[in-house]
Amino acid sequence: MPSVIEAENLRFAYVRVPVLEDVSFRVDAGDYVGIIGPNGGGKTTLLKLLLGLEKGQGNIRLFGCPLEQFKQWHKIGYLAQKSPVSQSGFPVSAEEVVLMGLSDRHGSGVSLSELKQVHEAMQQTRTREYAGRIFHDLSIGQQQRVLLARALVSRPELLILDEPSTALDPESREMFFNLLGELNARRGVTILLITHDTGEVGKYISKFMYIDKTLVFYGTKEEFCHSQTVAEKLGAFAQHTIDHLHNHGRCPLGGACGEIKND
Amino acid sequence: MISEFLSYGFVQRGLAAGTLVAAACALLGVFLVLKRLSLIGDGMSHVCLTGVAAALLLSANPVYVSVPVVAAASLGIMKLTQKFKIYGDAAIGIVSAAGLSVGLLITALAGGFNTDLLGYLFGSILTVSADEAVLCGLLLAAVLAGLFFFYRDLTSACFDEPFARTRGIAVHTLNTALVVITSVAVVLAFKVVGIFLISALLIIPPVSALLVSRTFKQVLWLAACFGVFSVWAGVYFSFVFNIPSGATIILVNLLVLAGAYAWSKTGGLKNAR
Repeated sequence: MPSVIEAENLRFAYVRVPVLEDVSFRVDAGDYVGIIGPNGGGKTTLLKLLLGLEKGQGNIRLFGCPLEQFKQWHKIGYLAQKSPVSQSGFPVSAEEVVLMGLSDRHGSGVSLSELKQVHEAMQQTRTREYAGRIFHDLSIGQQQRVLLARALVSRPELLILDEPSTALDPESREMFFNLLGELNARRGVTILLITHDTGEVGKYISKFMYIDKTLVFYGTKEEFCHSQTVAEKLGAFAQHTIDHLHNHGRCPLGGACGEIKND
Repeated sequence: MISEFLSYGFVQRGLAAGTLVAAACALLGVFLVLKRLSLIGDGMSHVCLTGVAAALLLSANPVYVSVPVVAAASLGIMKLTQKFKIYGDAAIGIVSAAGLSVGLLITALAGGFNTDLLGYLFGSILTVSADEAVLCGLLLAAVLAGLFFFYRDLTSACFDEPFARTRGIAVHTLNTALVVITSVAVVLAFKVVGIFLISALLIIPPVSALLVSRTFKQVLWLAACFGVFSVWAGVYFSFVFNIPSGATIILVNLLVLAGAYAWSKTGGLKNAR
């Protein structure tokens, strides 16, 4: 499997307060990685480092290319934790926001193929019905779906999503995770997703990454449920996550799972 | 009366320069307002005082001396916010205070400049030279070219800067270009409305346009139209009633803002299909 992300010895500190220390991992094409961990554990910072939005120490390669030289940004779709709701006076339509996900052209013109891509992404996220409405007039959940369409519009090979389902109602959340699962399963889109919603998303995720200032665990869902190491290191959190997976019928160990298994 | 008014060469030059600089300021102001950088114009205008005072001391053209001084100050504001993580409004306050105090110090050391300096503080649109009018034309041409070639990059960076960076858009370069070109606009605008009132040309037309527009392109068009209208109406009223042109231009802008607010209550262009 070709690697999509390679991270080596990542370190980051906010004004000398360490946020991430010595994080190394590799994400292969087609992986669906759920990033979990406590609040303030550095999950969002990790994604920002991967996207070049924060500068830390260490090496990052995206699609085999060092981050500093990476130019193929259309291969990556990104949905941030906070939507740009502060731009409440910005008169752009939902459709124009989705168009912002395409950056091949710089001037004001829009090509037919771009419009086709925008409509396709809005169709996928069920946002076409309010394509012409002003973005900030939409509800937070609707805005989030429009922003997902913006992340999908360039037909990315890697999706980086930071707690994307927080503002969604249960129906939208299910649609959202089903869509991600489909993109991963059918189109082979690699997904890196920060979530606290392990029950809902658990059936699709292939790997878990537990971040708490450093990389505590990174492995398959089976390893996560099966590992004594996980139990020792993560204790109640691991049991809670496994219970959550089990209660939603998404535990890889099926009926045998009631408690953490020994290695 | 209007034809007599327009027949004077100095009036034509003043109106031409005012039209060009008002349109440029309004277009730049749209991005500054949406990026919460409205007050950068205020800070730059205070730094203008340093440039003008230094130019008067050296018997040089204030425009040519002020452009590099104000551009350096605007880059200083950016550096303070990015490198030293100081809040934008605080950085503007710091640079603004520095500019004002250095300008006042130079003025005091030179023994005061009397009427020359007052002309720059309160504006004297009818004293615009032909060279300065040409510079105003170049400024607007640069702003329009930037909008034409980088419209999508600019709107994307203005709407959601982190996301724009993940699209490979050179956000830092765009921001630098925006503040440098704004500093040129601020310097050229001090002849039109005066140092004290420059920021109003950057802020009021975009705010009026944002109140009533449905699309971003409407905001740009309306802001430019409001800015230009305020200059024409302001200069006309100042001629008719023999009152200061700079202050009159800003008062017209405020009346346009009040009108836009009233229009926004009925939906403005937002109801138009």
